[in-house]
Amino acid sequence: MTKKDKKSFQQSLAEWKLFLYNPTTGAFLGRTAKSWGLILLFYLVFYGFLAALFTFTMWVMLQTLNDEVPKYRDQISSPGLTVFPKPVTALEYSFSVSKRESYEGYIEDLKKFLKPYTAEAQKNLRNCQDGALFEQKGPVYEACQFPLALLEACSGESDPEFGYSKGHPCILVKMNRIIGLKPQGKPAIECTGNSKGENTTTLPVYPSEGNIDLKYFPYYGKKLHASYLQPLVAVQFNYTASSTPKEVTVECKIVGSKNLKNYDDRDKFLGRVAFKITMRA
Amino acid sequence: MGQKTPQIYSVELNGAKDMKQTDKGDDKDKYRGLWSTCLELRKNHHKEHVTKEIDLGLSSTQAAELLARDGPNALSPPQETPEIIKFLKQMVGGFSILLWVGAILCWIAYGIQFSNDKSSSLDNVYLGTVLALVVILTGIFAYYQEAKSTNIMASFSKMIPQQALVIRDSEKKIIPAEQLVVGDIVEIKGGDQIPADIRLLFAQGCKVDNSSLTGESEPQPRSCEFTHDNPLETKNIGFYSTTCLEGTATGMVINTGDRTIIGHIASLASGVGNEKTPIATEIEHFVHIVAGVAISIGVLFFIIAVSMKYRVLDSIIFLIGIIVANVPEGLLATVTVTLSLTAKRMAKKNCLVKNLEAVETLGSTSIICSDKTGTLTQNRMTVAHLWFDNQIFMADTSEDHFKQTFDQSSGTWASLSKIITLCNRAEFRPGQERVPIMKRVVVGDASETALLKFSEVVLGDVMEIRKRNHKVAEIPFNSTNKFQLSIHKTDDPTDKRFLMVMKGAPEKILEKCSTIMVNGQEQPLDQSTAEAFYTAYMELGGLGERVLGFCHLYLSADEFPETYSFDVDAMNFPMSNLCFVGLLSMIDPPRSTVPDAITKCRSAGIKVIMVTGDHPITAKAIAKSVGIISANSETVEDIAKRLNIAVEQVNKQDAKAVVVTGMELKDMSEDQLDEVLTSYPEIVFARTSPQQKLIIVEGCQRQDAVVAVTGDGVNDSPALKKADIGIAMGIAGSDAAKNAADMVLLDDNFASIVTGVEEGRLIFDNLKKTIAYTLTKNIAELCPFLIYIIVGVPLPLGTITILFIDLGTDIVPSIALAYEKAESDIMNRKPRHKKKDRLVNKPLAVYSYLHIGLMQSLGAFLVYFTVYAQEGFRPSTLINLRVEWEKDFVNNLEDSYGQEWTRYQRKYLEWTGYTAFFIGIMIQQIADLIIRKTRKNSIFQQGLFRNKVIWVGIASQIIIALILSYGLGSITALNFTMLRPQYWFVAVPHAFLIWVYDEVRKLFIRLYPGSWWDKNMYY
Repeated sequence: MTKKDKKSFQQSLAEWKLFLYNPTTGAFLGRTAKSWGLILLFYLVFYGFLAALFTFTMWVMLQTLNDEVPKYRDQISSPGLTVFPKPVTALEYSFSVSKRESYEGYIEDLKKFLKPYTAEAQKNLRNCQDGALFEQKGPVYEACQFPLALLEACSGESDPEFGYSKGHPCILVKMNRIIGLKPQGKPAIECTGNSKGENTTTLPVYPSEGNIDLKYFPYYGKKLHASYLQPLVAVQFNYTASSTPKEVTVECKIVGSKNLKNYDDRDKFLGRVAFKITMRA
Repeated sequence: MGQKTPQIYSVELNGAKDMKQTDKGDDKDKYRGLWSTCLELRKNHHKEHVTKEIDLGLSSTQAAELLARDGPNALSPPQETPEIIKFLKQMVGGFSILLWVGAILCWIAYGIQFSNDKSSSLDNVYLGTVLALVVILTGIFAYYQEAKSTNIMASFSKMIPQQALVIRDSEKKIIPAEQLVVGDIVEIKGGDQIPADIRLLFAQGCKVDNSSLTGESEPQPRSCEFTHDNPLETKNIGFYSTTCLEGTATGMVINTGDRTIIGHIASLASGVGNEKTPIATEIEHFVHIVAGVAISIGVLFFIIAVSMKYRVLDSIIFLIGIIVANVPEGLLATVTVTLSLTAKRMAKKNCLVKNLEAVETLGSTSIICSDKTGTLTQNRMTVAHLWFDNQIFMADTSEDHFKQTFDQSSGTWASLSKIITLCNRAEFRPGQERVPIMKRVVVGDASETALLKFSEVVLGDVMEIRKRNHKVAEIPFNSTNKFQLSIHKTDDPTDKRFLMVMKGAPEKILEKCSTIMVNGQEQPLDQSTAEAFYTAYMELGGLGERVLGFCHLYLSADEFPETYSFDVDAMNFPMSNLCFVGLLSMIDPPRSTVPDAITKCRSAGIKVIMVTGDHPITAKAIAKSVGIISANSETVEDIAKRLNIAVEQVNKQDAKAVVVTGMELKDMSEDQLDEVLTSYPEIVFARTSPQQKLIIVEGCQRQDAVVAVTGDGVNDSPALKKADIGIAMGIAGSDAAKNAADMVLLDDNFASIVTGVEEGRLIFDNLKKTIAYTLTKNIAELCPFLIYIIVGVPLPLGTITILFIDLGTDIVPSIALAYEKAESDIMNRKPRHKKKDRLVNKPLAVYSYLHIGLMQSLGAFLVYFTVYAQEGFRPSTLINLRVEWEKDFVNNLEDSYGQEWTRYQRKYLEWTGYTAFFIGIMIQQIADLIIRKTRKNSIFQQGLFRNKVIWVGIASQIIIALILSYGLGSITALNFTMLRPQYWFVAVPHAFLIWVYDEVRKLFIRLYPGSWWDKNMYY
């Protein structure tokens, strides 16, 4: 049995050698040079054709698109909420009031995020009328100013550390941009904090009552509405720092508007956002 | 022993009493002597339990006890693999291992995720479970299919229970042979199959055919004498499943079921290994190819992913995706269904397939070793020729319409027909008046049956004629006299003479004659008429026919008055100077469908070899008449005879045909046999024993042929097993043969094999199409993963979605291809070469993977990109978006238009992408299905609508997709969403292109056969 196996192994080795290079036919890997040439040429032509064809069909497809507005917006009918500073891994903020380096990153992130909101950056923007949708017909689309002062204590102007050093950190909440979204009613952001063993409390928000003014809607898209500034709402943490770490779960949601959903079974960020702040002295 | 003695005496006493009753006492002493011999033998064979009385037999209760102890009298089928092993084999065979690996990787991945983050999603657990379920379900399905085809066999063998005439409770009863127990007294007569191993207690002119056991085709006389210590040699034992040819006998059952001699042989036969079927080899080859591709791409991209700094966990998940995409999960189940559909179709054509894979084996058969009797012939003696008035007349031998057209006006015919009618002991079984004559059941031996039927057809009611010519004396045929004689009163009331009629071996009959009847007149038998007789005799004998001579004599009324008492022992009547009337020859004629079938085999490149135990002359005659030896080919002997030279001088190259006898075969070496097999296209093996069949089969297999063997005897079972496909006869076949065979011919007809071959070849072609169809979309399923890994676009096609293609939309279409008609006459090409013509060859894999598969991927990607672009993510944005896209806490991912998406919104879009990709593949699979209808011909030549099942397949694809997209759109676990109707049409141009491209391919193949294109593009 082993003898037979050995023989077949040698045979297969010889077969492999012959497959690699067959001196009688000049075949290399089972094909002669001419055959290889033909097959490579064939695939060159064939794949070239397929590539051209794909490019062409993609081009045709792209022609059906509008540069300014996507063809369909059905999958984002209602905006999600996002928070800043941008969380690193999950929606958790953890810092120690006494250690600046523990919250420095958050401050940097906030500063970076608020850069377009400086008075300098906003000077070309329009001071729109409050409380009404700002619908435009083009061709030039203007953006409305969002004065940082609206954020009051969280504007970074009076306190460049956004309250982190004082144990009253600010978190910015914003609604996702959706082209053409026209909120109904008086949309506002409402935030509640829940600490273990304590009652749920409403947290202070700026602008007052967390109002999002209708003048910032609708949004006309990146291309037409390049200078658009999103309205922001800041939520400030008003727990006092103590020696024991304070863990608070904050939930913010959109209220006051019929067409802005704030609850969905599957989408935990549709019109609401929940995050955790762990603060130590 | 001591306890048994009194019982033995009681048997003797009763035995003697029995004899007194039945034999009118005249040779009591003789029988008594025999009894003692039998009893002596019984003392040697101390196995049995003599607890009965001969005339009483066993009592029912005794029998029931013994039956409970020994089990039924049936050969137990060869040891089956335990069901659980069969089931487990299905669980690990084929692609199952790969899928198990995938499932386990899933669980491992979840384990890693869970250890890092307790709240990680259960997606991987679900996927692993789904994969495991897929394996288990397809395994159960395959197992069920196997079991179903085995059940067909089981029910079949129960359909024809053997009966036995047994004495129980002192009554003669007919019971199923299965219920026989040791000690039962059974009676057998000519034509019966012996129902168990029996020791004869009483025999009259009993002869048995032991050929299925020993290979000797000569009938063996049986008596009650104990002649040899070896049970195979001694004359007083009849073996289970052998046939009693003539005479009657009473015997006691000494062994039942597996303890019989045949049972021992059958269990030996199960030792011969079953050859792996060609299709099993092919499927294994195919699984290796696909698994090879899956593993190499999987490992390659695992390495790429790791070196691209993907986390190992992600890389593992990619690996799972690649495996799932590469493995055609539904294919093996589809193949099973396809095979069983063909098996069903074949069963309708009287080929019952035991082993599903054998369906295809028949198609690749290149040599058929066929039995003669029953398979090529009708297995019934039929009158073929008559000779009287110095003339040979031909009789009609076809199966159904039996109109004799020869001249029946001669007076000689009147006399001859009378002899045929009267000198015959065979009788129709009563109650068959409505059955066509040729199909009626007859009690009597083969020749007598033939004569009875012949005379019934020509003359009408034979039994009535016999009644009118009352029989007064009779000597039945026996092999020493070689004649049969009977004396009748004539039906002419004025004629008081007795008519003595006689038939037998022609030369013996002629010896007794002094006159011959010509044109109704008696003439003296002179030299010239005797010569004419011999010429006719030789001629008919040379046709391989069994010739009988007929003569008669009217006994003068003076010498033999009406009251004369004829004594057959004393022979008190004349036995010479009779009047010779004529000859009649019989043959087991070929089935009328066989010559056609043989011609078909020949054009299909299949060599038909006849293997028979019959005489070479008969074998050759039948071979010639069915075309196994074609009309213009000669054997060495024929040439020698024609040229009038010695056999040795003939140039062997000139001879196309050869008749090899078993004796010659015995002296041949393997090389000589190989030479015979290769150098003669037309071969007949005659006078071979069943064991030699095995040698012949092995010889054929040395030529790399796929060999089909037909057989019916127990001793055929090793050859049936050894053959690539063993074909047992459904009617004549023994259970052992059926057990060893892969296929059972329900009508024992050779022509059915040929239809089977046709089906087998068709299924091979169609399986190729099915596999090509199934493999194509694997690339379209695989590319999304590769692009996802390399380019970083959101995953275009989910793993679950892949499973819905493989096990959902694609199943019915791939089965539908099994109904495709042949492209050209598949019976006009050579059988496929076992090692060269593979099921999955390089062009098939290359064309499916790299041509159509790639085109399909492009089409599906187009749909995918369209959906994303129209929702806001242009293709340029998608590139390298993967990491951000999949972050759970990024809920403001910006699209190309500045809009921001939450994670769930993206996920939903991703599922829409899956659905879009899925629809893209589905639409193009419709085109793929249509192009796979043919491999060479244009679709328009084949006809788009000839195979209606294809349209059922297409409808099923669309309906399943509609249900998945619209019906189950809200079930998020399945990752399907509602897709805008227009996206269903995005891939249509690509589908159309696939069709056009394949038409061009086929056109070039047809235009330039043998060209570079043909070699690389024809699969």
